Amino acid sequence: MKKRVGVFVCECGTNIAATVDTERVAEYAKTLPGVVYATNYKYMCSDPGQELIRNAIQEQNLEQVVVASCSPRMHENTFRKATATGGLNAYMMEMVNIREQNSWVTHDREQATRKAQSLVRMAVAKALRNRPLQAATVPITKKAMVIGGGIAGMQAALDIAEGGQQVVIVEREASIGGKMTQLDKTFPTMDCAA
Amino acid sequence: MVAAAQHPNIELMTYSEVTQVSGYIGNFKVTVKQKPKYVDWDACTGCGTCMEKCPTKKLADEFDFGMGKRTAIHKLFPQAVPGKPYIDAENCLKLTKDKCGICEKVCPTDSINFKDMAVFKEIEIGAIVMATGYDQFDWKSAYGEYGYGKYPDVISGLEFERLISAGGPTGGKIIRPSDGSEPKNIAFIKCVGSRDDTKGKSYCSRACCMYTAKHAYQVKTKIEDSEAYVFYMDVRTAGKNYEEFYQRALNAGAKYIRGRVSKIYPQGNKLILKSEDTLLGRQLEVEADMVVLATAMVPSTGAAELAKKIGFSVDKDGWFQEAHPKLQPVETFAAGVYLAGTCQGPKDIPDTVAQASGAAVKVLGLFSKTELATEPMTSEVDISKCSGCGLCVPICPYNALSLVEIKERGGHGHGPFTRQVAEVNSSLCQGCGACLPACRTLALNLKGFSNDQLVAEVDALCL
Amino acid sequence: MSIDIQAGWEPKIIVFACNWCSYAAADLAGLNHLEYAADIRIIRTPCSGRMDPMLVLRAFNRGVDGVLLSG
Repeated sequence: MKKRVGVFVCECGTNIAATVDTERVAEYAKTLPGVVYATNYKYMCSDPGQELIRNAIQEQNLEQVVVASCSPRMHENTFRKATATGGLNAYMMEMVNIREQNSWVTHDREQATRKAQSLVRMAVAKALRNRPLQAATVPITKKAMVIGGGIAGMQAALDIAEGGQQVVIVEREASIGGKMTQLDKTFPTMDCAA
Repeated sequence: MVAAAQHPNIELMTYSEVTQVSGYIGNFKVTVKQKPKYVDWDACTGCGTCMEKCPTKKLADEFDFGMGKRTAIHKLFPQAVPGKPYIDAENCLKLTKDKCGICEKVCPTDSINFKDMAVFKEIEIGAIVMATGYDQFDWKSAYGEYGYGKYPDVISGLEFERLISAGGPTGGKIIRPSDGSEPKNIAFIKCVGSRDDTKGKSYCSRACCMYTAKHAYQVKTKIEDSEAYVFYMDVRTAGKNYEEFYQRALNAGAKYIRGRVSKIYPQGNKLILKSEDTLLGRQLEVEADMVVLATAMVPSTGAAELAKKIGFSVDKDGWFQEAHPKLQPVETFAAGVYLAGTCQGPKDIPDTVAQASGAAVKVLGLFSKTELATEPMTSEVDISKCSGCGLCVPICPYNALSLVEIKERGGHGHGPFTRQVAEVNSSLCQGCGACLPACRTLALNLKGFSNDQLVAEVDALCL
Repeated sequence: MSIDIQAGWEPKIIVFACNWCSYAAADLAGLNHLEYAADIRIIRTPCSGRMDPMLVLRAFNRGVDGVLLSG
C-alpha cells in the first residue's frame, strides 16, 4: 500500500490560520506514512491554490490528495475537479474539515492545531485506502412539481414553463394565488396585487 | 395567476395535497391527493347558477376572515383560478343532512356529484420546488394585552388588506368591524409576534415595516381628517425605493411613535392604547377607533411534516432549511428539491419573486442535461464472500438489493451448480450503507466509506 | 460518585456523524462559531445506518473514551 499522498493545508485567509498553525500541520503531515508532499497555502480553493494541487500531482507523482480546509459539504466538488484535471481519478481525494469543525469552534491555538494534525492523520489513513470510482448515469424525468401556488409557486412555475419544461402546480386551496389574492395594492409601486 | 393557468406547459392541481414522496433527484414519485370538490370541473363552465341558488348563504367567508359571507357551494374568491366552484362538505345541507340538492337540479351541465371521492394520483417528476408560503402568527393566543381577539376592532394587517381591497367585503371602504362606521383614528402596532422572544418569534418578519407604511399612507389618503399612528421598535426599509416610500407615508402625515404598546382597552366605543414614547422618554395614551396589528409570519401549517416526507430539514423556527445561508439559498439538503419564497423564511414580494426565479433556474439547469451522473459511492457485493443469506435485502430502504442466482463451475468432485448471491442495483442505491452492518460475511462494502477506510480512521485517531 | 480527572488528561471522543444531518449540523455550529471542546473528532458517515457495531467496538478496543453516534 505504498501510495504517494500529497497533503494541502488551506489557511482560508485567517479563517483557519488565525487558530490553526497551518505550517505546523503541513510539517506534521510530512511525517505521516505515505505522505510524500505537504504544503500550506492562503486559499486552496482559488485558482492558484488549485493550480498548486494540479502541479504537485504531476511533479510529485501523487496518487492520493488530501485537502485540509473547509467542510467537504462546501468544496468537495471543487477539489474533486482539481484532482481530476490534475490527472487522477476524482475520488482519489479526501477532505479534512479544519474550518467548520475545528478553527471556528476552538479558541485555543495549540489545541486547534493538534486537532487539525490528528484529523489530517485520520484522513491520510483513509485516503491510502481510496480506490478510483466511476460515476454511473441515470435518466432525468423532465417534469417539475411546484408545491404551493402562491407568488413564489406561480413565478417558479412560469419561469420553468417558459424555459420549455413541463410543470405541475399542487395547491391545497381551490384556487392558485395564495396570500397575494388577499392583498390590496402592494409597496413600493402601489400596483394591484393580482 | 391567469398566465400560470393558461400556460400550455403548466398543469394545475388545485384543492390537492402531496401525501407521499419517494425517489431521488431526477426521478421522484409523488402521490397527490385530490380532495373531493363534488363538482366535475371538466364539465363545469363556472356559470355560477349553483352559487346563486344555494340556500346556505350566511357562512362566514374564511377568505375575508369572516367579514364577508359566502354560500356552501362557492369559489375561494370571485376571481379564483380555475374559476370553478366547489362544495364545502361540512356545511352543505345535502352532504350533511341529505336535504336540498338544489345545485344539482339547477346545474346546466350536470357537473354536481355528491358522491365525489378523494383521488390519489402518482406522478413521476424530476425536480420539486417548495413554495408553501407562510401563515399569520396566532396573536390571539399570545397577546393578552391586545385583548386576545376579544375586541372586534383590533384586527391583523391581512384583515385590513381585505378591508381596503376593492375586491373585499366592503368594496374597499375602511370600516370598523364592530359597528360598520368609518374609523378616523387608526393605530398600527408593528412587531406583533416578531422580534419578541417571550411571546412570539425571535426573528424579524421583514415585510411588516413596509406594509404598515403602506397602510398608514392609505389611511391618510383615503379617509379625510384621519390620523394614522404607527407604534414601532425600529423602521427597517432595506430595499430599493423602500426608504422613499416610508418618507411618502411620513409626508402624508402618518405619525410614527417609537415604543411598544403595553395595553389596549375599550372606553366607550373607542380603544385606548397605553404606550411610551422612548424618544421623548414619556408615557402616552392614544385614543383609536381601530387597531391594526402587523403580525409575524410563521411557517405554513403542515410545512414541517411535508419536509419530513420529502426528506429535508426545517430550522429552529420551522422554516425550510436551505443548504447554505449564503451560497445555496434555494437548495435543500435533498438534491433536486429547491426553495422559493417565504417557506424558507420571511420575505417580501420582490425577494420572493427573485428567489422563485432562482429556483426555476436550478430546475432548468438540471433539466438541461439528458442524464445525471450518480454518486458512485454505492454498495458493492463481493460474491466470493456472499453466502446468499438475504439478510441485507429487507434492510435496504431503497429496494436496491435483491438475490440473484449465479452459476458456479464446481470442482473438487462437484459438478456445476447454482447458488444465490446479493446484487446491488447501483442506480437505486443511495450509498447509505445500512446494508453493511447486516452482512455477516463482510461481503458487502460501501465504496468511498469502506470498512477498511473507517477502521483506518478510527485506528489513526487512537494513535 | 465523583470522578477524579487528572490534570492534563485529554479524553478521546469519536463522533460518527451522518453526512446529511449531524455532520451538516456540526458545520452549522461552526458557521455560528459555537465553541466546544477540542477533544472531539468527527468521522463522517454517509448515514447513521452505515454504523457497524464493529466500529464502535474497534474504537473502544483502541482506547477511545467515548463514542457518540448521531444521525
